[in-house]
Amino acid sequence: MTDAATATPAMTAPPQRLPWWRRLLRDRAALMALVVLVLIFAAAALAPWLAPYDPYASSRKVMLPPAWAARGSMDFLLGTDPQGRDILSRLLYGTRLTLLIGLSSILVGGLLGSFLGLLAAFYARLDPWIMRLSDVLLSLPAILLGLALVAALGQGIMPVVLALVVSTIPDCARIARGIAMGIMKQEFIEAGRALGLPDRQLFTRYLLRNAISSILIFLSLRFGQLILIAASLSFLGLGARPPVAELGMMAAQGRDFFLFAPHIAVIPSVLILIIVLAANIAGDALRDVLDPRLQT
Amino acid sequence: MLAMLLRRIGLSIPVLLGVMVFGFLLLQLVPGDPAVVLAGPTAPPEVVEEIRKSMGLDRPLVVQFWMYFERVLAGDFGRSMISNKPVTEELAAAIGPTVELMLACLIWSIPLGIAMGTLAAMKRGTLVDRAIMALSVAGVSLPVFFICLLLIQLFGLTFRWLPFVGREGPVWTLEGLRHIALPALSLGMVFIGPVARMTRSSVLEVLKLDHVRTARAKGLTERAVVVRHALRNALIPVVTLVGLQAGYLLGGAVVTETIFGWPGVGRLAVGAILSSDFTIAQGCILTMALTFIAINLIVDILYSVLDPRVQK
Repeated sequence: MTDAATATPAMTAPPQRLPWWRRLLRDRAALMALVVLVLIFAAAALAPWLAPYDPYASSRKVMLPPAWAARGSMDFLLGTDPQGRDILSRLLYGTRLTLLIGLSSILVGGLLGSFLGLLAAFYARLDPWIMRLSDVLLSLPAILLGLALVAALGQGIMPVVLALVVSTIPDCARIARGIAMGIMKQEFIEAGRALGLPDRQLFTRYLLRNAISSILIFLSLRFGQLILIAASLSFLGLGARPPVAELGMMAAQGRDFFLFAPHIAVIPSVLILIIVLAANIAGDALRDVLDPRLQT
Repeated sequence: MLAMLLRRIGLSIPVLLGVMVFGFLLLQLVPGDPAVVLAGPTAPPEVVEEIRKSMGLDRPLVVQFWMYFERVLAGDFGRSMISNKPVTEELAAAIGPTVELMLACLIWSIPLGIAMGTLAAMKRGTLVDRAIMALSVAGVSLPVFFICLLLIQLFGLTFRWLPFVGREGPVWTLEGLRHIALPALSLGMVFIGPVARMTRSSVLEVLKLDHVRTARAKGLTERAVVVRHALRNALIPVVTLVGLQAGYLLGGAVVTETIFGWPGVGRLAVGAILSSDFTIAQGCILTMALTFIAINLIVDILYSVLDPRVQK
């Protein structure tokens, strides 16, 4: 059994001179994006140790500009917000929450979506049903789902995550199905069938293993969009509830003081831009290197 | 063609039903007993019971849903829980500005996106191509609210060229145009990137086809080849993109309207949700879902008209 599985022919691109990760590292923009992402993720994960202050503790120093500005203070490197809270500390915690929202929704939505998509390709019987279901889910854009769920469940992180998950499922199911359809036509699937392998093994060892890298690329490209939607909902006051720090909400809090203290809104917004940009660039590069067929 | 059309419309029905069930459930969240609210706090119980009967509130939920369904089909979404105005009245006032904003955004961003994408495809691999692609990736990665804030800062506060609060009459008046400029500019910025990307890859795809080779072989200039022979075919996928991105545009519109105080459906919805005005929220969500479904239906039909290969 295991012999048959390990003998699975690789479905990757034709042999090239360099392994994929070497080619990825040669792309300078992609390399930089990856480094930036790793740094941001590390900073977010280590927020409790890196943050100089309690993100919820306010001080008397209200709306202090960043340290490099004329009135800035070295005590508060990125300044303080309208409640006198340290922006750097809130930024670290806010990034943590924003990334957590994005990651959890992409993981859950991606898992459910790709499972459905692979299933549809594997069992032709299920295909019309699964695709019909995904058509239905696809008919409502994420932001509308978010508005509806927040209206029903009240503002908070859970309805936002739920909306992001539900909106990821149909997209991911379609992509996974397309990828899996291509794999199912390959000869090794037929060979596996001829060997009399049970469906479960064909599914996991033959189909899933060969489809997974393409699906992951799609999800990495989708990650940035989810972060943007979550941040937008929070900006509108429909996501995270104060005093919790979340990047979109932090930007919203700075909106009313944009004239005198632009840094309060600009700093979190720029961080969102950097995260999404890095994720998009890295995802694009990963796709070009690993799976040029996915190129749109 | 007709079969495809019917199948496509059939697909929208479960979605519509789902959205309506959702709207109905949302109304069930309204706090308090509607009959008591209507009768007033001092009304005797018999009167409350009377009202409850007349409103059908004593009937099973399924029957109540059917009544809701009939009311919605007749265009009755109930009354706002805050202003007590009919929801349809508030919606009717908001739809115009939203449509206006979307059109004002598309009218400049789509042609610009197509031009940028075509240019990038023609100059493939050069600095121009890479600059355009870098710009479009940056555009897709920018949070809409940040674009809005930056444009307000730049054109509204620093140069004081353009107003950035509310709507002042229709677009064809000077004041109306000045007021719509910044919202339309902000919303369009997020749309250029996807259009440029899609156009580029689609033009590159078409450039590989036989008829383009023939056009080249007969000695046409590269520009004539691209503009006359490639672009026309390449634009078909761009049409679907508009449908696919309609949700994205809607999300952008909700944010843009809220920031600029643009009196559209998006702002109405956000305000209603924040103030727990369930009836208005329900009406807005139903309207937006309906519009989104309709846009996609139209795009699908348009697509099959433009590209006969799609009709099966």
